Formats: sequence, structure tokens, C-alpha cells
Amino acid sequence: MNMKASSRLQEILSNGEFAVTAECGPPRGANPEVIRKKGELLKGWVDAVNVTDNQTAIVRMSSIAACAHLLQMGLEPVMQMVTRDRNRIALQSDIMGAYSLGIKNILCLSGDHQSFGSQPDALNVFDIDSMNLIRTVQTMREDGKDMSGFELNAPPSMFIGAAANPFADPFEYRVIRLAKKIDAGADFIQTQCIYNMDRFKEWMKMAREEGLTEKVHILGGVTPLKSAGMAKFMNNKVAGMDVPEALIDRMAGVPKEKAVEEGLKICLETIAELREIEGIHGVHIMAIEWEEIVAEIVESAGLTPRP
Amino acid sequence: MNDNFTPKITLFHCINTVPEIGGFSLTGQDNFELQTVKLACSSMVKDVFLLRAFEAGSDAVIVLVCPEGQCRYVEGNIRAKKRVAWVRNLLDEIGLGGRRLSLSNISAGNNVAASQIIQNVLKDLEDLGPNPAV
Amino acid sequence: MIVGEQKPILEIKEIIAPYKKILILGCGTCVKTCFAGGEDEVAVLASALRLACKKDGKEIEIEEFTVERQCEDEFIQESAPAISRNDGVLSLACGAGVQAIARRFAKSPVLPGVNTMFIGVLEKQGVFTEECSGCGNCRLDIFGGICPVTRCAKKLLNGPCGGSQNGKCEVNPETDCAWQMIIERLGILGQMDNLRIYVPPKNWQTSLSGGPRKLVREDHMI
Repeated sequence: MNMKASSRLQEILSNGEFAVTAECGPPRGANPEVIRKKGELLKGWVDAVNVTDNQTAIVRMSSIAACAHLLQMGLEPVMQMVTRDRNRIALQSDIMGAYSLGIKNILCLSGDHQSFGSQPDALNVFDIDSMNLIRTVQTMREDGKDMSGFELNAPPSMFIGAAANPFADPFEYRVIRLAKKIDAGADFIQTQCIYNMDRFKEWMKMAREEGLTEKVHILGGVTPLKSAGMAKFMNNKVAGMDVPEALIDRMAGVPKEKAVEEGLKICLETIAELREIEGIHGVHIMAIEWEEIVAEIVESAGLTPRP
Repeated sequence: MNDNFTPKITLFHCINTVPEIGGFSLTGQDNFELQTVKLACSSMVKDVFLLRAFEAGSDAVIVLVCPEGQCRYVEGNIRAKKRVAWVRNLLDEIGLGGRRLSLSNISAGNNVAASQIIQNVLKDLEDLGPNPAV
Repeated sequence: MIVGEQKPILEIKEIIAPYKKILILGCGTCVKTCFAGGEDEVAVLASALRLACKKDGKEIEIEEFTVERQCEDEFIQESAPAISRNDGVLSLACGAGVQAIARRFAKSPVLPGVNTMFIGVLEKQGVFTEECSGCGNCRLDIFGGICPVTRCAKKLLNGPCGGSQNGKCEVNPETDCAWQMIIERLGILGQMDNLRIYVPPKNWQTSLSGGPRKLVREDHMI
């Protein structure tokens, strides 16, 4: 059996096509209908769908389960996995379980600290960090062995993703970090959503200079703004986010009824700019709890039909 | 309100404020007991002394310190202020009432101010009543 | 030093409620330095508790005693007479000291008066910061002398995370991001290349995760 069969996302990126991914969050409960509805909204418009893992440390249906529901509908999931809640035993176990269900993409993250979420009194884990997780998945795939060196009956041949945040500090170090993630085994990168295009372009320039864009597929993240309030909130209250004043002013400068439209305009401008940047191989649309807008964005950006 | 008790006050003072408390003429109220404790610097007022004053039966404790910026030992009066604030909080927590403990800045030799402060505390005690832990 | 904070007085009052004669036992080492349980703190607590109990019409006798440290038998045995005179002991030592007293004086109820918090340093007068979590396998040599296990909220060995902004941790804007500090320090030391090195997963067996630890030095045992 060819266990190295590629994921659809991997194929698209390997073929040099501009990939489109989106994100969806599992429900706070055991009813999978929510996931199915989100899946319906995204089907056909994107190449793969990220499923978050107790994002912001708020307890939700597990990523692996939600991914399985999406698979059943014929969508390709990217399972997000954080190291905040599970130790290396549980993580490796879930990686094997996920692959056995047909989940072929994984995004390795550390995870938001539990103090942000619904259970701040919980004991966190952080047995290993996201860098270790990337390397672990790579080892499981390439060597067919788990972290203890045990030979697995079949390797989980996952397409490995990692996150990058060009907007966190310290800036100069962020490209070294990208290089480190690639060395650890990252095949693709999804960045934090971009509002400060200048800073992003500078980061991409540094990445190209280090030869990193030859080694990894970078997908630029975008999130459409809905209001000036949202822009301000993201800038002030969300860790690692950079929303320039000029953009906040632009959102504030239009009447309230036109805010959403303006936000979408900005989003489309961002995507258009991304397509021009050397080394960018796709876009990752994070329309938080607004999955219905993804279709419109993909269409207006001229990214349909999907391959 | 209980005006059938003889208020007992302990007064800690820096010798640089008023060298000697005595010979104060307090109009109106002279039915009270005053015990004074002289300190070389108000920073000598340790938390435990303030509490022991209450254990010994004081209904109120006054701490007189030099004006800020004029402490002979630079920050002694600031330390005293912090300690008094801490003990006031503790007194509130145990239900004795932090209001019974006060700190006032007075300029050197200002007997009039000192008298006024004692007068104010006696007024407060009409409200607060005697020390409930005696 | 071990840093701790005295419990709120009303909590202590609850804890000692069943007893008529209590010994407050202080410790002259770590807890004295962080103003939680030294001789001075014993005196203040005793006085405040007497006032609090008297106010409620509750009878209580409180004795005060302090030893050099409560983690060594040599010192805690000095408190034997005082302990035998009282119904219970309120120890203001760290958790180790409380347990040492309980172990030695098994027939006396021993109660904690301090919340033990962390291994740390005096950053400046009145300010104590956590520095070490006793992981049992120190690699401060590669991290420029700043511990990511203790001072990074996510214990990242290959940090920083994406939440580091303006040199501060995403968990608390007043907390410095340990990885920002590590990067700066490595820069000063000319060891920035350390940052390119992949640090493998930590072996937690030497930490509390492997169970409570014991150190035996045969060369010091007769």
C-alpha cells in the first residue's frame, strides 16, 4: 500500500498552483451539524480547510473529530494540533489516529495560553513545543518511527504545516525562526493574517534572501475586517497582530453600512498583492465565524474554479 | 455611640516633629488618657508596636511624622506611612477598624496642629466606640 | 530563595479555630527574606490574631517562637518544648518546613500559615520573581542564562511563540517575554547561532513529573 500518497493540498502546491485554504472552528458541543454546515459553505471554493484545536483555549469539539466529519463530506481537512493540552504520548497517538482516518495535513502549533480561554484554572501541558512537534511528524513519516524509536506498522505520511508570524517580535529573528521550522520539517507555512503589507513584504524579502522560499510553500493569511471596531480590537487585544493606523482610519472613514464592503475591498487588495509576491504560493483565508464570505472572496479574487 | 468610656490614645511621634507632647490645652474634651512614645525617627514605628498598642487597650493610635521631603533621615516618614497603611488594612480585615489608626504630617514644633489632630481622633472615637478587643 | 506569601489573616483564623493554645513557629531563612514568616512576621501575626479572637470573644493563647530554619532537624528540635506546650503549631515556613515539623512532631497538629510560591530572587526591594522550577536538568548555558522552562509561560525550548509582542508575554503584558530576553542576551554574548540549533524535547523524568525526588550523598553519610 502506498502510504506516501499525497494530500490534495500537497499536490496543488507541488504543481505550482496558487493554493486557497480556509479555516473553520468546531462547535462548543457534540452536535456535528455545525461543522457540516460550515463544510457546505466551503466545499468547492477552497483546496483544504484548517480545523482549529481548542482555539484560544476555549473547549470545543476535538479537531480530529471535526476533521473526520469534513472528510465524510468530501472536503480535505488540515488538522491543527497544539502542544498546550496533550503530551507527546497523546500527540503521537492522535497523529496516527488522524492519518488512519484519512487526514493527511497537519498544522503544528504551540497554542494560545490557557489563561485566555474557558478553563484558565487548568494545568497546561507544553511537554514539547511546536518545533518538536514538526520534527516528530517528520520522523514518523520519513523513518516510520515514533519518538521512542519504535517502528510503526505504518507511517503517518502527513503533509506538515507550521505557522509563522511576521508581526510578532523580535522582527529580525522571525526569519531565523522560519528557517528553523523548515529544518525541523515544515512543508508549508500559513502566516498570521496580514494587514501591515509593508512589514510582510520585508519579511518575505528576508526569507527569499535566505533561500527559504525555495524550501517551503508559504501561504499568506488574510482575514476580512467587518468594522473599525474589529480592526482596533485585533490590534489591541489579540496577541501578535499588527493593524496599521491607516487601515483603522480607512475602516472608520466609511459609513457603518459600508464597513463590511470596505473590509472586503481591503481583503481583495491584500490577496491581489500576495499573488504578486515572489515566494507566496497561496492564500489562507481566516474568516472567523463568517465562513459564508469565503466563497465571495475566492470568486471576487478570481481564484475559481479550484483545480 | 458610647460616651460612657474614657478614650485611651497611644501617640507615636518623631522627636523632630514635636519634642515633647505635654501641656496641650484641649478645649472641650479633657476626659481621655494619652500615652506617648518618642521615636528618633517615625520609621522606627514597626507594625508590631502599633498592634501591641491596641492589645494593651488603646482605642486609637496616632502616628505623627514630619512633612514629606523634610525627613531628617530622608525617607523615614515614607516608610512610616507605608507601614501605617498596611496595618490599617490588617485592622480592617480583622474587623477592628483601620480608622482607629492614623498618620499625620506636622511641621516641627506645631503644637497647635498636634492638639487639633488629637481632638479629631477623640471626635472619631465618639463614633467608633471603645476597642472591641479589650 | 524560596518565596512565599503569608495566608490572608481570616483564612489563618479559620485554620486555627479548633485550637485553644497555638504556637506560631517562624523560620529565619527564606520566608524571613520575603516577609512572610520570620520573627517579625510571627510577632505581627500573633498580635493581630489575639486582637481578632478577642474581638469575637474567642479564648486563645498564642505563643511565639522562631528557629533558624524549619527544614533541618538540628534547628527544629529547639522548638520541641514550645510545641509540647501547645495544642497545635501554625508554621510560617515554606511547605517543606511545615512537613518537616509534622514529620518530627507527629503527635502535634501542624498547620500552614504561608502559601509557598516559587524559587526566586529579590529583583529589587519588595519585589520577588520566579526564576527556577527545579527541572533537574539545567541548560542555562545554551539559553544565555535565562530559563525558558520557568520564565516562558509555554516552556518553549525553541521559542518565541507568535504571541510575543513588544518584548512582553501574551499572558501578562507586564511579564517580559523570556525568549525576547534570551535573544537579546545571546546577541550580547555573540551566541546568536544558538538560536538556529534545534533543541529536542525535554526529558521530564528529572523533574517533579517523574515523582517526588530524592538526593542521596553517600559520601556524606557515615
